[in-house]
Amino acid sequence: MTKEEVIEVIKRNIVENLDDVEADSIDPTKSMKEYGANSLDMIEVVSTSMRELNIKIPRSELAELGNIDELADKFMEYINKG
Amino acid sequence: MPDATDFSLADFHLNDNPNVLEPPADYLEWISDPDVRQAFTFFEQQLLTAPRTRSEILSNLDRERRPIINLTSYNYLGLSTHPEVLQAARETLDRYGLSASGAPLVSGTFDLHVELARRLAEFKQKDDCLLFSSGYGGNLGALQGMMRKGDVIAMDERSHKSVIDGATLSGARKVFFAHNDPEDLAAQLEKHRDRRILVVLEGVYSMDGDLCRLPELADVADEYGAGIYIDEAHSTLMFGENGRGVAEHFGMEDRIGVSYGTLSKSFGGVGGFICANARLINYLKGYSSAWNFSCSPSPPVVGGLIKALEVATRDSTLRDRLWTNTEYFRSRLDSMGLDTGDCESQVIPLIIGPSGEKLFRYATAMQKRGLFLQPIDYPAVPAHRRRFRISMSSQLEEEDMDRALNIIEDVIVKDRD
Repeated sequence: MTKEEVIEVIKRNIVENLDDVEADSIDPTKSMKEYGANSLDMIEVVSTSMRELNIKIPRSELAELGNIDELADKFMEYINKG
Repeated sequence: MPDATDFSLADFHLNDNPNVLEPPADYLEWISDPDVRQAFTFFEQQLLTAPRTRSEILSNLDRERRPIINLTSYNYLGLSTHPEVLQAARETLDRYGLSASGAPLVSGTFDLHVELARRLAEFKQKDDCLLFSSGYGGNLGALQGMMRKGDVIAMDERSHKSVIDGATLSGARKVFFAHNDPEDLAAQLEKHRDRRILVVLEGVYSMDGDLCRLPELADVADEYGAGIYIDEAHSTLMFGENGRGVAEHFGMEDRIGVSYGTLSKSFGGVGGFICANARLINYLKGYSSAWNFSCSPSPPVVGGLIKALEVATRDSTLRDRLWTNTEYFRSRLDSMGLDTGDCESQVIPLIIGPSGEKLFRYATAMQKRGLFLQPIDYPAVPAHRRRFRISMSSQLEEEDMDRALNIIEDVIVKDRD
């Protein structure tokens, strides 16, 4: 799976969990917070994305991530570990 | 790959087990890990006596009965075992029985409930009061009853779960602002200028023991025409010249729309309440489901609470004692160079840092030495700020505090040095 595909998964889950956000308008260099996500929305987006990607990353490792692109990098790290 | 101790309860919320009667498969695997099981032994620790400062537990660590100094129960003013409170509860039990046997609108309102609500409203200097059977239910029911889809609830990011769940249940948009940060609150409210907005604050934040910056935050709320709701769970009967809470402490009670409190902490009973204007309280009786659809608080508890309010407010003896104890304990912790964060209250965090291993090793060693001080782990607090949370009490004698401090020094300070 490529990083672009991972970003698509995250974007789709953002659209499903947040009001008034369209996938095309999401810039991965931005934080989900900038699209109106609160901390509970972010947990939902991350959990559903991880389920779709079949990976499990401790929440404590995700706390310091700053934007969607960094989240995708972290996901890729685990996807590549198999 | 991470090992079991890198995971926490934050990681198993989503359940994809096809069998809805079972938890997630990976959760079951996680909780059977020996290190995780060891950490879980601190949950549901049984007390064998009243939650006084000297109590006894049946230790989950080794199944031994162990006398302990109790710095965990939030019996801040010792009212749950005050002789006058117990006598009042006994008398009420004999007269009214154990249960109210009904919801408040139908048959669960006794003269006792009316009297406690009236006294609480007078105490908080508001028109009226609604009593809830649980503290969690109080925030849940008040916020659900007040706010609707299309409204906005702005909460501090360290808000209690009952506030967050009440906001979720209401259907309002949840907006979190950075802890105690008026500028961030303003930035968040700016996005929702045209909405009905409620700003929810806590008098004392329960994991850090710091106070809300009420003067600055209230100014922002006013600027945006927002109502102010303050949760005084850890401050009622303790802060302010008359014990009315942090709003009294700051001299700002007239700017508070809804004042929430629990009846389980300083009051020594169980339940919650809100005080507000009579029109809102009247409206909530029709729409606050946690009130409307719960059995009214148990009569002996209500009888005890009426007396507890009287005992705590007839003079300042109990809260003066609490603050003397808090100052003594806090200054001794500071002189040992321990990190107590931004604590300003009787809730004193003892911050250990990122190591879960240290946290549980210290918790085990302290309990075995006779100090009941429960560890607070991620996700309840940030992963790099794992801690113990000390609840001070007016009941503590200097001898108890010195014993506790010696144990903390032997276990934590000596390990650090």
